[in-house]
Amino acid sequence: MTALARCFLLAVILFLYLPVFVMVAMAFNDSALYTLPLVPTLRWFEALASNEKLLAASRNSLVIAAATSVIATILGTMASLALSRRHFRGRSLLQILLLPPISIPWLITGTAMLVFFFWTGIGRGIHAMMIGHVALAIPYVVLIVGAGMQSVRVDLEEAAMSLGSTPFHAFVSVTLPLLAPSIAAAALFAFAVSLDQFVVSYFLSTPGVSTLPVEIYSSIRQGFTPEINAVSTIFLGASTLLILLFAQLSSLGGHRGRG
Amino acid sequence: MAGDRTGQNPPGRGRQGWATAGLLMPAYGWLTLAVFLPLCAMLFFSVLKTAPVANRPLEVTFDHYLAFVRRPYLFDVAWTSIQLGLWTTGLCAVLGLPAALALARSTYGRSRKVLLLLIILPFWTNGLVRVFSWTMVLREGGILDQAVHLVAPSAPPLTLLYSFPAVIIGLVHAYLPYMVLTCYLALTSVEDAVVEAARSLGARNAVIFWKIILPLSLPGLASGAVLIFVPVIGSFMEPRILGGRIGVTMGTVIEDQFTKAFNWPLGAALSFIMLAVVLVVFGASSRLLSRGKASLGGAAP
Amino acid sequence: MVGVEAASVAKLYGSKPVLDDVNMTFEAGRLTTLLGPSGSGKTTLLRIIAGLIAPDGGRIRFGTEDVTDAPVWTRNIGMVFQSYALFPHMNVYQNVVFGLNRRGIRGSDAKREVLRALDMVHLSGFERRRPKELSGGQQQRVALARAIVTRPRVLLLDEPLSALDRRLRQSMQVELRQIQRDSGLTTILVTHDQEEALVLSDSVAILDRGRIVQQGRPSEVYERPRTPFAASFLGDANFFAGRVGPDGIETPSGLIRVEERLPALGSTATVAVRPEKMTIGPAGAVQHADNRIEATLQEIVYAGAVSTFILRTADGTEIKVLNQNADAPELSPGTVVEATWSRARTILLQT
Repeated sequence: MTALARCFLLAVILFLYLPVFVMVAMAFNDSALYTLPLVPTLRWFEALASNEKLLAASRNSLVIAAATSVIATILGTMASLALSRRHFRGRSLLQILLLPPISIPWLITGTAMLVFFFWTGIGRGIHAMMIGHVALAIPYVVLIVGAGMQSVRVDLEEAAMSLGSTPFHAFVSVTLPLLAPSIAAAALFAFAVSLDQFVVSYFLSTPGVSTLPVEIYSSIRQGFTPEINAVSTIFLGASTLLILLFAQLSSLGGHRGRG
Repeated sequence: MAGDRTGQNPPGRGRQGWATAGLLMPAYGWLTLAVFLPLCAMLFFSVLKTAPVANRPLEVTFDHYLAFVRRPYLFDVAWTSIQLGLWTTGLCAVLGLPAALALARSTYGRSRKVLLLLIILPFWTNGLVRVFSWTMVLREGGILDQAVHLVAPSAPPLTLLYSFPAVIIGLVHAYLPYMVLTCYLALTSVEDAVVEAARSLGARNAVIFWKIILPLSLPGLASGAVLIFVPVIGSFMEPRILGGRIGVTMGTVIEDQFTKAFNWPLGAALSFIMLAVVLVVFGASSRLLSRGKASLGGAAP
Repeated sequence: MVGVEAASVAKLYGSKPVLDDVNMTFEAGRLTTLLGPSGSGKTTLLRIIAGLIAPDGGRIRFGTEDVTDAPVWTRNIGMVFQSYALFPHMNVYQNVVFGLNRRGIRGSDAKREVLRALDMVHLSGFERRRPKELSGGQQQRVALARAIVTRPRVLLLDEPLSALDRRLRQSMQVELRQIQRDSGLTTILVTHDQEEALVLSDSVAILDRGRIVQQGRPSEVYERPRTPFAASFLGDANFFAGRVGPDGIETPSGLIRVEERLPALGSTATVAVRPEKMTIGPAGAVQHADNRIEATLQEIVYAGAVSTFILRTADGTEIKVLNQNADAPELSPGTVVEATWSRARTILLQT
């Protein structure tokens, strides 16, 4: 029974990774039409180096992701602090309000942003995409930092205050260092959310300025060039590293209820 | 009567209210600007005749909402979207629950952590590229076709691409990890002690599965279903890329209104209809989940 | 060294009074224990004195200074929490030096004080260790060192020993007593453990549902409890109720004589007798006894050094007698025995 279960699990995982393998294989395959057999080559990576459009889009993606990460982490951490430590009327309502950005289909949020930004003159472009990405990342940051806050006991701050710390000093010298891994994990998560974001970027991009996912999409619609596989392989590698880092900072798996 | 202070705050910390507001304002201000106000704007747009441009007067109308009822074509599209949702959710449940079961009950320690990581990784590969990779696999002359012909050379060419099943495959592939994770989380909340207690009372494996494990995994199935159904009915990426001409869903229609037809008010109205469906799904599922929790009572810690 | 005074302190949670007009003096340089069951308000009172909670009424004074509105970080206290609350990301030295740094004491001056405090709690050499590398008892001692190194005006201990196992708890009680005596700090201890209260305190205050039931030296509170609650919370007690007659209290179990002045004739009264103050023997063995009650021996609970005898009188009252296992006569359950005690040992209670 266990062997059967494990086989099934592996089959599922293979299914999940099939396109990934294909993509990586094709990135190194010398065939413009994605035919077998596999002939190893690096020409797509070389072509990528001179594909200005893709490179510009990649740069935009990275810049926006970095900015999103920083802004969303700061704002989200602040909000998380207020929501976890202070008990006040309307707290549950505020926590519920964090759900719409991540639970409403991004199609709706994206088009809503397009409509509103157009109407108010904010327009489209990198700044618009950034506003959107940060809004989508904030709930995740609040969630992750909030979870981290749960494990920082309240009496630690009380102990610091009993020893003479003002509330601010207690926060800086006790809570913040203990929260650092969660904050870092949240920052990484926000970065990854932004990097992979397609729908909102799609609606907020302009012909000249787009992010990598949007560029890939128009490329698919028009006529796919294998450089896309190459750049995606690179991003896959980077995302993998990020997620491994994230897993290190916040323990995963093997938890039974409260850890 | 000694003093009539109602000291809600500890001494010396009377200004807490301001500090709390200060911490919350930036994040919620941003969310208001980027999410809540836009949704209101879209609501407003959905009742306009045409998009407000320069000097054109604003006319309020419910035409666009009624269009949904009047044009049967939109009904078919909506039905397609719902079918996509149901098929995807169903297949994800059929594949995801056993996988989660295997993960929760047949793997341990290090290998479990590795497997979990493997399941989560695809989240962070670029969704678009994954979908495109499926085109490479499924199309005529693609990987699958070539593989089949290696084994059976006289078989007819595989035309899986640009069909409903192709879209389903792409969607299931994209959303399966959600179901595996939610079911896994629900299953790992079943303490070993509960199963052991059942065994000590004489229950055999089949009974334990049906009466304890399956019911306790239902919240995982339910939340996974919601996490999958909602985005799927709004998807336009996978239907477009994998469905070609037949890949017309609510998502693609709405997208068209904003990028090609420039009929923003119609797009807005359709979006809100979809939002209504989403809210109904959330409402139903939360009631289902809380009822499920009540009936389980003290079964799970 | 200052004393602490709580004057008319009140605290409500919603409409429920957690502390109700509490008046207490904590003598300078002495260890006072707040003893009570959970929900009695003892921890709330401690936290109000610390400044972590604001009272809804009343004042707190350290010496002559009214600190009621002063924030906790200005009160110059030392506090040991039930969970120790050691900073996990700092080692022992950094934990202990934390309060000193806040007061501007750094460098070699600080180091001297830290080593002195660690020596006092018998943890010299542990400076580099991290809290998670320490045992429960060691963590507790670091928490104590951290609280006393700053020579605070008041030392507050919130059930500091409750997380330790029995043996460790007993040895720590002795150590704690020693440290308090050596440092001479005004100390307030909160506990629900009556043995702890008896061993450690110069003064005990028993709390019940937000009120102080009785306060005084341990021996005083133990030997002469004023209410049934005090009698049964601190120690064990046998209760007898009846009407006041000319010679004593007439109870269903018999006439009980007291040494104190009797209340008004005909009024109801309740008395208590501690189990260890009674002597058990075969019926009729003792010739002259102030108080004698005959009963059937139900059960003997043997506990090595002592045994508890559970008796039942003819009128159904259960009596517990605690005697040392020295030269006691052999008694078996089912026989009729008698419990005797002197009139001085009868405690007249106010109900």
